[in-house]
Amino acid sequence: MTHRFRRLLFVLLVITGLPAQAEPASLLAGRWRLDPARSTALDGWTAWDLVIAVDGSRVSLRHDMQWRATKRSVTNTVDTAAPSVVPDFFRVEQRHMALYPAKGGTTAVRAAWLDAGRTLRVEADTPIEISQGQATLRLYLEYRLVEGDGSLVLIELHRTRPQPLVYRFTRVIEAK
Amino acid sequence: MRRFIFLLSLVLTTGAWGADSVRSAFVMRWNLDWQVAGGLPEKVLLLSLQGLANRAAPQLYIVHPPEYQWEITGPLFSFYERKHGVKFTELATTEEALTRFAGSGKGYVVWDPAVAATMNVAFTIAGLEDALVVTPALIPLVEKHGLKPIDDLRGRYNGQTDAQIYTDAVARYWARCTHDAIMLLGGHVGAVRMPGMADWGVRQKMFFHDLSANPRHPEELALEQKLFSQLTPGATVFGWHSYGKDTEEQHTTLLSSYGLKMEGLHNLPNLSFNCQFSFTPGFKFTNTHHVARAAQLTAEAKVYLAFVQSDSIGIGVWTKPGRGKLPFAWQVTMNWTKFSPAALEYFHESATPNDYFIGGLSGPGYMYPNHIPADRFPLLMKEARELMAVLDEHILEIMDNSAADGNAGNADLTKETVDRYYATFPDVLGFINGYGPARTRDLRDTRPLLSYEYYIDPRRPRAEVSADLNELIALNATRPYFLLVHVRESNDVNSLVEIVKQLDGPVEVVPLDVFLKLAARNKTYTTRYQDPADPKHFKGYR
Repeated sequence: MTHRFRRLLFVLLVITGLPAQAEPASLLAGRWRLDPARSTALDGWTAWDLVIAVDGSRVSLRHDMQWRATKRSVTNTVDTAAPSVVPDFFRVEQRHMALYPAKGGTTAVRAAWLDAGRTLRVEADTPIEISQGQATLRLYLEYRLVEGDGSLVLIELHRTRPQPLVYRFTRVIEAK
Repeated sequence: MRRFIFLLSLVLTTGAWGADSVRSAFVMRWNLDWQVAGGLPEKVLLLSLQGLANRAAPQLYIVHPPEYQWEITGPLFSFYERKHGVKFTELATTEEALTRFAGSGKGYVVWDPAVAATMNVAFTIAGLEDALVVTPALIPLVEKHGLKPIDDLRGRYNGQTDAQIYTDAVARYWARCTHDAIMLLGGHVGAVRMPGMADWGVRQKMFFHDLSANPRHPEELALEQKLFSQLTPGATVFGWHSYGKDTEEQHTTLLSSYGLKMEGLHNLPNLSFNCQFSFTPGFKFTNTHHVARAAQLTAEAKVYLAFVQSDSIGIGVWTKPGRGKLPFAWQVTMNWTKFSPAALEYFHESATPNDYFIGGLSGPGYMYPNHIPADRFPLLMKEARELMAVLDEHILEIMDNSAADGNAGNADLTKETVDRYYATFPDVLGFINGYGPARTRDLRDTRPLLSYEYYIDPRRPRAEVSADLNELIALNATRPYFLLVHVRESNDVNSLVEIVKQLDGPVEVVPLDVFLKLAARNKTYTTRYQDPADPKHFKGYR
């Protein structure tokens, strides 16, 4: 490769910026397993795998959950290009609280890549059933790729909770 | 007729020994070794001996270490000494126990630890034939005390399934067993088994089994359904389900669908002794009511919080540090008025002004009301009302986990079930529901029905518990907010005191009767029943 050609390639990369963004984002893709010892205590769930897939501006966040014999697999698909409305938005709830997804409710979701694609930010206003009727839970979530790319940290803030929920995941290398 | 004889025997035995009957008895102090390959065989022998020795009179009591699930055996031992004047003589070894009580048995039956179900078959035989239950290794010991073989199960059931073994046992023994009760001696399986309730089943000549209520075991399920269908109406299933075969939810659903009552656990000790003592003369339950039945209270703009502990008091928070520092409601196993009145008197005697007793669980025993047949409901609940009257209780706790998965999931009541409770308990202050959180709520005349808003898992970090409660408080923004909290058995009250200090806003912890009276006057909660569309972990048998 000549010196001139290298310069041309560099200029192209800077102009489009595509590889610099797409590459880290795709690093979030894959299966991640909760490390309970390094996470906020889950209540009512004993296992949690997070499966992330990126398709253009759409990011699917699949939650494979387990509690005793109960297994649930639920996917939230968010769009980093525009706000979206998600039916049956799944929230990893503390199951010993009387808070339930509102039946038939839809959730307004905004998502964006941050930190040159190493962080996915998701903001959601989700309707929940409470004993007094219905309320809106405002959620702020950041899925952050940790240095070394083998770990993922999920930081979850609620408008109504005085402290963050912090979950740490380890990448699962799946056999081919 | 069999039911009459069973009740008569209880009446004749219960109440035989009041406080003024100074009498002697024997006590053994056991360790925690329940290994099949260790201490279990000797304990099985002694449990059969205890059941037989206590047939005619309360003679043998067992004190377990404080770490045993039923931690009250020590305090209750002292209670018998102090309040009933029992003079206990200690028996240090199995040899000593046999020397004193071998005459209670007519012989022995041999079980085979390699075929687990033979232990239960042997216990059934023990009750019917007055036999001690031994492993082959213990034969020389009992023969030394003059006992002869009555039956030997070695080889009889080799290679057979539990369904086959119990089918044979039903054919041989069921007709002679009481049909007013049955012993589900499951619980721990494998290397450790803990049949601490066996003395009671032997004394009362019950049929022992650990049949599965899991639809994955259709032969066992069918046999158990046959047995349940042949029990007398309102009979009691003592013991507990097998941890290796099915779930608590499945078994309680099954027995409830036959209108039966559950009384556990499988390791509940000393019923053969406890059932023979009445309340001490002049004793009468007087609950610490904080509000009159007809009172009307006005709620302020604040959060009202009430703590409840179920799971039976004897395995609960009662002996943990801090009791009395907060208002606390305790769900009493009401059936103990029949089987273990001294234990109830002990709890009552040691109650602080902050301890308040409520009835449960769902009725005169542990049962899931969504599955109780309509024609069985009135009679069962009449019994519950009578027990609540004896215990001076004004609130009933209901629990139906038939559709739940453990302490998470759907714990709601159908509207039909709620209608039945309101019709059957006109005099209660109200009802509470759930184990984990639930969302069945109602208010009719002055009687609210509220479900738990939160369940405190003893393993959950206290800071997270505080944050959870604060989040519920923030989301339920209308005041007053009625925050009902279920405290799982092994929590302690001291930690709850610290949690309450971390809660936001005006919060008042109030006794449960005050809580319900306030909730009756200011309904800030919705009315809701089980929605047929709500997810069900287990859909039942029909």
